[in-house]
Amino acid sequence: MRLILFLTGLLAMIMAVTGPVRADEAELRAAIAKFAEATKFSETEAVIEEIAGLGDPAAATALNELSEGQVMVRESDGEVFVIRGKDDNVQLLDPLTLEVVGTATEDDLRKIKIKNSIRRMIADVVSGLTLRAKDPKIRMQAAETIFSRPDEDIIETLDAVIAEEQDDRVRQAFIDARAAAVLDSDMSEAEKLEAVDILETRGGRDVLPILTTVSNSDIATVAEAAKTAIASVEERLMFWAAGQNIWYGISLGSVLLLAAIGLAITFGVMGVINMAHGEMVMLGAYTTFVVQEVIRNSAPGMFDYSLAIALPLAFLVAGTAGFVLERGVIRFLYGRPLETLLATWGVSLILQQTVRTIFGPTNREVGNPSWMSGSFEVGEILITTNRLWIVVFSLVVFAILLIVLKRTRFGLQMRAVTQNRPMASSMGIATPWVDAFTFALGSGIAGIAGVALSQIDNVSPNLGQGYIIDSFMVVVFGGVGNLWGTLVGALTLGVANKFLEPYAGAVLAKIFILVFIILFIQKRPRGLFALKGRSVET
Amino acid sequence: MITGFLFRALDKKAIWVALALLAVAVLVPLSNAMLPINHPLHVPTHIMALFGKYLCYAMLALALDLVWGYCGILSLGHGAFFALGGYAMGMYLMRQIGTRGVYGHPILPDFMVFLNWKELPWFWFGFDMFWFAMLMVLFVPGLLAFVFGWFAFRSRVNGVYLSIITQAMTYALLLAFFRNEMGFGGNNGLTDFKDILGYSVQAQETRAALFAATAIGLAIAFVLCSGIVNSRYGKVLVSVRDAESRTRFIGYRVEHIKLFAFVVSAMIAGIAGALYVPQVGIINPGEFAPANSIEVVIWTAVGGRGTLIGPIIGAVAVNFGKSYFTAAFPEFWLFALGALFVATTLFLPKGIVGLFNEGWTRLRSGREADRAEETLQPGTEAAE
Amino acid sequence: MTEKLTKSLLYLDGVSVSFDGFKAINELSLTVEHGEMRAIIGPNGAGKTTMMDIITGKTRPDSGTVLFEGDIDLTRHDESAIALLGIGRKFQKPTVFESHTVEDNLELALKRDHGIFATLFTDTSSEQKERIDEILETIRLGHRRSELAADLSHGQKQWLEIGMLLAQDPKLLLVDEPVAGMTDAETIETAKLLREIAGEKAVIVVEHDMTFIRDLDVKVTVLAEGSVLAEGSLDHVSADERVIESYLGR
Repeated sequence: MRLILFLTGLLAMIMAVTGPVRADEAELRAAIAKFAEATKFSETEAVIEEIAGLGDPAAATALNELSEGQVMVRESDGEVFVIRGKDDNVQLLDPLTLEVVGTATEDDLRKIKIKNSIRRMIADVVSGLTLRAKDPKIRMQAAETIFSRPDEDIIETLDAVIAEEQDDRVRQAFIDARAAAVLDSDMSEAEKLEAVDILETRGGRDVLPILTTVSNSDIATVAEAAKTAIASVEERLMFWAAGQNIWYGISLGSVLLLAAIGLAITFGVMGVINMAHGEMVMLGAYTTFVVQEVIRNSAPGMFDYSLAIALPLAFLVAGTAGFVLERGVIRFLYGRPLETLLATWGVSLILQQTVRTIFGPTNREVGNPSWMSGSFEVGEILITTNRLWIVVFSLVVFAILLIVLKRTRFGLQMRAVTQNRPMASSMGIATPWVDAFTFALGSGIAGIAGVALSQIDNVSPNLGQGYIIDSFMVVVFGGVGNLWGTLVGALTLGVANKFLEPYAGAVLAKIFILVFIILFIQKRPRGLFALKGRSVET
Repeated sequence: MITGFLFRALDKKAIWVALALLAVAVLVPLSNAMLPINHPLHVPTHIMALFGKYLCYAMLALALDLVWGYCGILSLGHGAFFALGGYAMGMYLMRQIGTRGVYGHPILPDFMVFLNWKELPWFWFGFDMFWFAMLMVLFVPGLLAFVFGWFAFRSRVNGVYLSIITQAMTYALLLAFFRNEMGFGGNNGLTDFKDILGYSVQAQETRAALFAATAIGLAIAFVLCSGIVNSRYGKVLVSVRDAESRTRFIGYRVEHIKLFAFVVSAMIAGIAGALYVPQVGIINPGEFAPANSIEVVIWTAVGGRGTLIGPIIGAVAVNFGKSYFTAAFPEFWLFALGALFVATTLFLPKGIVGLFNEGWTRLRSGREADRAEETLQPGTEAAE
Repeated sequence: MTEKLTKSLLYLDGVSVSFDGFKAINELSLTVEHGEMRAIIGPNGAGKTTMMDIITGKTRPDSGTVLFEGDIDLTRHDESAIALLGIGRKFQKPTVFESHTVEDNLELALKRDHGIFATLFTDTSSEQKERIDEILETIRLGHRRSELAADLSHGQKQWLEIGMLLAQDPKLLLVDEPVAGMTDAETIETAKLLREIAGEKAVIVVEHDMTFIRDLDVKVTVLAEGSVLAEGSLDHVSADERVIESYLGR
């Protein structure tokens, strides 16, 4: 019975969306009005059959209320209502829309009597109506609803609709639903074995409870088949779960990559320890916030383009900050990495406090554009659109950076300066400017990472703090001075983290990863992809 | 042998510093207890408590200086040793609460009752005994430093790499101690202490005694460090800082040299933490925050690393400034701290003591000044 | 290993090491006798410094045998252990403890217990002080004993480093380009100093300066592309076609 209620609710929901005005609504109302004259059970049954014949899912509401004994006839004019309340205070509701249309006392009303056989009949009619609905989505959802709450009574109806159904996917859903219902019934062993097969093929987490119940069945063969099916389904589920974990891992890895990739330039290539790197990310995130605020106030229609506008701005803002930082502080500290570490930490404190003073200490709201919301499924893997975009985005940033380093003149100069400064200088490269722009590039990339991270993280003055240690871990783990190492490092750590999480929990997984990296650095102080060379005297 | 060590320890200015600290240990509590409140030399209890805290910080900075200033190991995780010492003391204080907790359980601390734990976890055993807790104050930070240093120094993790992994270490501990399952009170930490050695932690006399203990503790740590850096071992430490491979090639086991300093330093940090906790009345995972450890570095840098008095001056001065600013202009403090980091590294690499020394020697003779600069120049080994 | 495989002080056989596919040392074999002084020359990248790295334990060879005093496998020891076994090394770039005095530099290098306990608690004995004075005499730095090493000239730092090797009292000294950046007078003095040392101790000198090599007047080994090209007196090897080809030039 609850199934019917549920289907009705589903219908009501869909109706609300699709709109109430229907061509055959008048016809349906006329049919419902006939309940007023039905004084015998047989007459009531006849009216129900007539309604069923109309094939309109909108009838389900009224039929269901009838089944619950909530349909009454107003004695004075013979109009039919769904009622709420009792005694002197009865509300009269329209049988199709359930809108309150008046009040009455119980004395003015006559209940349309029903019995159990009529209830069953209504159940069949209602499910028949939804299963035959014109919209394949409604039919699909109906099938899924039945699947999750199988009911023996519905098998016949399903048999009928399976024969009629044109849409392959919907028919398969009906067949699956029928199999679930068969297993819940007293049908023959052969039927049940076939049903177990069908469910096994279907797979998914939701067949497990059904099969588990069946595995305790009295019929030995069926129980055995169910056990085999469970094993096979679970195996496939594990596979999908692993897939899902890999996806989560890649997703986390791409976030790490975004955060670390700028650092791979400033730390990896230049050897500068920039503890304010996280704050560059934060600046990028706040740039996004400001862009969105301006758009909200002046051109709300442009909201979907906000990130595209924010990207170059964030690059500029963070890049400029980086440039100033390099010229103002870091250049005086080359060759003194520990001092650089301390000074940039100081800068990070100043940047944090500046942002806190301007924007306040609390989280600021950065919205997702419409094209970044939503999700879809690949097999059993759930993929949210914003995460997918971030993965794509991080790889694009990585590729662009690689091209800049390997294929442009600036990249060549940059590599020349980091490999042999005096030689580069004597060949006419303005090394101080290369330093400054390299640092600005690394910082700018951190800024655009901030745009992406604003979509999935809280935008607060502390945003950068959360990424700095992870970023260093990625760069050090991957191997300093090696962009590919950073990519592999980020993805490896991301995936490893997500695989540990189900066993250890999020915090412990993170601790394990940290401890692992600490131990790893002991073993390979220069990271995964270190260049070997003649040892240098120190 | 030991007398030789002590003789070297109390060399030159060191004895005056030690005596001054002892004088503070006696005079401040005396003035607090004996002099009338309106007497100009009376030290109010809250000031004494504040300075007691600063002295703990000074001890922590001194510990850091031993490894950073003398051996070139920039640890960004010394806060972890401090916090571990603090937790060991906190566990003792928790067990002294007895039935006076909110839930009145005779053995289990409140948070365990709250978490529905039935019995004390094994690692809480023994902490009802003061001597055991004090042993742990030394042992736990020392063990962590030993294990961590053993691996790190043996595989020659150097410079910024070492700094980064020490930071990762304290970060990992921060995350771990936030977990309720760890059995250290989760993010609330340990607090609501009642007694220490049978005396109420709130009582003015106890506070005075704790202050005196801290000042004496600092004096002992100072003499110990002085003895270490003035011995041949101390010279080797500086050698490791300035030319690690040369030290190795004349036959010193650099990893052992570093490990010893690191462990001693961690133990001093642990004692500082243990003295800190009863004075502030709480220990929570926030003490493990990487930012705290970096702050210790800046105290040391401001005071003057590579000198023993520098970190003490730096810790007291910076924290005094912090107390003042956070009360007067709370918005401004992080700007000031940030600027302090930048300014110290850019303009004051030798810290206040370096500046003072330079001025002093310049007064005495121009030629000597140049040399002093060289002596104090703590060459930092590049990250390969 | 009870039976000594060789009577030589240092014995390298078939030693190879490569970095990322580049063979820095290729099947190198070399023996040095007790008290012998040997000069090693060769073009840049011939593997001279890498060879020293292998002998002093800084680099592990991929294959080959490295024996000291006939039965000590050097590949199993690290730098400090090898230093204590009696092999001292001077770097290409003079490396002394700049923030210590000249005297302290020597005191730290003195052969004695380097353990933590000893360094913490023992004082320098009068005997050891005498030894320091002797070395100061030998390296001609007696008058600057209490000055900081940082204040020394380049050549004096080279000598101080050699002095530190002497203080170590090694059986074998590896000296990498001892006269680089020295004046002619200093070069001649250095050659004299090294000859004084040899005899009692074995010395391997790597140097580019041919006049200096000639001054030393010892057996010369020519390295090229990681292996021995020629060996013998300087005149002998300078006449060798291949040596001229790869190193000396026509």
